[in-house]
Amino acid sequence: MSEPAVLQIEEVEKRFGAVEAVKGISLEIAKGEFFALLGPSGSGKTTLLRILSGLETPNRGRVSIGGVEVTGLPPYLRRIGMVFQDFLLFPHRTVAENIIFPLRMQGMTPAQQKEQLDWILDFVHMVGLDERFPHQLSGGQKQRVALARGLVSRPELLLLDEPLANLDRELRKEMEVEVRRFQEELGIPFVYVTHNQEEALTMSDRVAVLYRGQIEQVGPKLEVYNQPATRFVASFVGAPNKMTGRVTACEAGRLEIDWDGLSLIAQAKEGMASGDLVEIYLKSERIALSVSQDSPQWEGGSENRLEGSVRDIIFKGQFADYLVRVGAGAELVVSAPPALPGIARGASVQLSWSDQAADVFKAPPGDGS
Amino acid sequence: MTAWQRLRFDPRARFAVLTVPGALFIILFLLLPLISIIVVSFWRTESYELIPDWNLDNYATVLGNWVYMKFLVRSLVMASAVSLICLVYVWPCAYLIAKHGGRYRLVLVLLTAAPFLTGILLRVTAMQQILGPIGLINMGLTSFGFAPIEVFMYTNVASAIGLVYLWIPFMLLAVYLSLLNFNFELLEVAKVCGARPWRAFLEVTWPLNWMGTSIGIVLVFIPTFAASVTPRFLGGPNGALFGNRLEHQFGATGTWALGSAMGVVMFAACLIVIGLVWRTINLRRVGFTGAGS
Repeated sequence: MSEPAVLQIEEVEKRFGAVEAVKGISLEIAKGEFFALLGPSGSGKTTLLRILSGLETPNRGRVSIGGVEVTGLPPYLRRIGMVFQDFLLFPHRTVAENIIFPLRMQGMTPAQQKEQLDWILDFVHMVGLDERFPHQLSGGQKQRVALARGLVSRPELLLLDEPLANLDRELRKEMEVEVRRFQEELGIPFVYVTHNQEEALTMSDRVAVLYRGQIEQVGPKLEVYNQPATRFVASFVGAPNKMTGRVTACEAGRLEIDWDGLSLIAQAKEGMASGDLVEIYLKSERIALSVSQDSPQWEGGSENRLEGSVRDIIFKGQFADYLVRVGAGAELVVSAPPALPGIARGASVQLSWSDQAADVFKAPPGDGS
Repeated sequence: MTAWQRLRFDPRARFAVLTVPGALFIILFLLLPLISIIVVSFWRTESYELIPDWNLDNYATVLGNWVYMKFLVRSLVMASAVSLICLVYVWPCAYLIAKHGGRYRLVLVLLTAAPFLTGILLRVTAMQQILGPIGLINMGLTSFGFAPIEVFMYTNVASAIGLVYLWIPFMLLAVYLSLLNFNFELLEVAKVCGARPWRAFLEVTWPLNWMGTSIGIVLVFIPTFAASVTPRFLGGPNGALFGNRLEHQFGATGTWALGSAMGVVMFAACLIVIGLVWRTINLRRVGFTGAGS
């Protein structure tokens, strides 16, 4: 990172009674960065965000914003903005009054407040709605007001707690683009908590995947998507096929794996040996699909080939999920353009993928699945 | 179509059936007595007999004579003071119960209403046992050689304490129910936006719970304003309030017409107070979303 870190988190821990919600997390977030905290519910991502806001105090560790330690400071002494999942607009205040609330708390003069208000209303496309009350707004408008309220004082950091989770799909797509625009134009670092990987991958620059209060992987989003560092990341990001098999041969970084009687080739990770039980995660779009009779010309990088039959095709719009039965009844999901010529329900097909397409991890001991 | 079917399918018939009990109650127990009081207040009483010759003399007496106005003002001051004391006392309690009461919330609220399980007379007498000259506090003090606390002994202060004790559960319930519907997360938002705790209270908590609080104020103000039993038992020689004077007209002196006029004045004063409180409520400013756009 060339730019200096705006937010530094060092060894932060938080316990609620016997539950360890956050177990020693360290992170640095640079100025102008869109950072996503991605994890399933209960992974500690919201707790971490609340620690950054000052709404929770960590049991251990330090938090610094803009080079100043704020670990013990209450929220009102930190220069931050925050956007919440259920908007949490003040119901007794108009749009304008909601937005200027942080400015009033800072003691800004009415003239300055007005200037900032006009600027942000234009910025979030809410001009002319400033006299409305929150209950007169649609969900998307409410979220725009919430974002405006978080951004109007130009904080050093904007924290977003699943801000799009309560919006319908269409609106969410639109707001994803908008939120990204807000971040780019203002250059304020955003820390964005979500359980929705699509959101995290669409908007952010870097992603941290959280699981059970710990960071599983942190890095640029493509790296997290393409090179999952742990079994959890591989299973959580990108809706992969999961295959459990046993290594039959391991030489020169190449694994031969027996999966339900089918032989698969994949790249080995350190410490893997013949006889290991492994889990193979294969993203559905990395499998190539072709009609069996086509006598395919195998290109390099298609070390794995399986015969199968299409059980069902689930149309999703721009692409479709082909459910293909292979071997003795196992099923793989393949993402491909819909209406491939010659491939219908019941058709015999060939699946192929390269030895680098799948991510292989040792199965945890005692997990027989 | 049978009557039963009509009831099931005709919305107007259903509306009528549902309205009758409530309407009947209001007519029988509120409007008729009120009208009779208003009518009688324009009559005249002579040696325990009502004489229907229409005049305004009773009102001239009640409103023009300082003897009566004094009690009206005294009652207004008493009701205001008692409401204020209840308000200051209730808010922290209700807040604590609503925010930190957890699963014991309902039990805690019901406990504060426990004195309602006995009659008003019993409760006032119990108060006498605590505050009076041979009551718990002053007996205790004198037996240890201290001087008794004089203001507790048959004064308006004692009356006020008794009235606060009597009506506080009403206000607690009103404020508690309001806080129960209050989203405490809004306070976190306020703090993240830079508001210190007190500022957050004044900007968010108070305005969003003002409607419930004002209902509590009215619920305490009105019975206190009309109080007669409590001041009679606790207030001593100078403790008589408007309610006592009013009661007097229907008992000892038998001047029912004058008493009725006093009742109408009291009713009007209550309406004015409710009207004043209502004016402070802007439905859009209390987070009330049923007011339309």
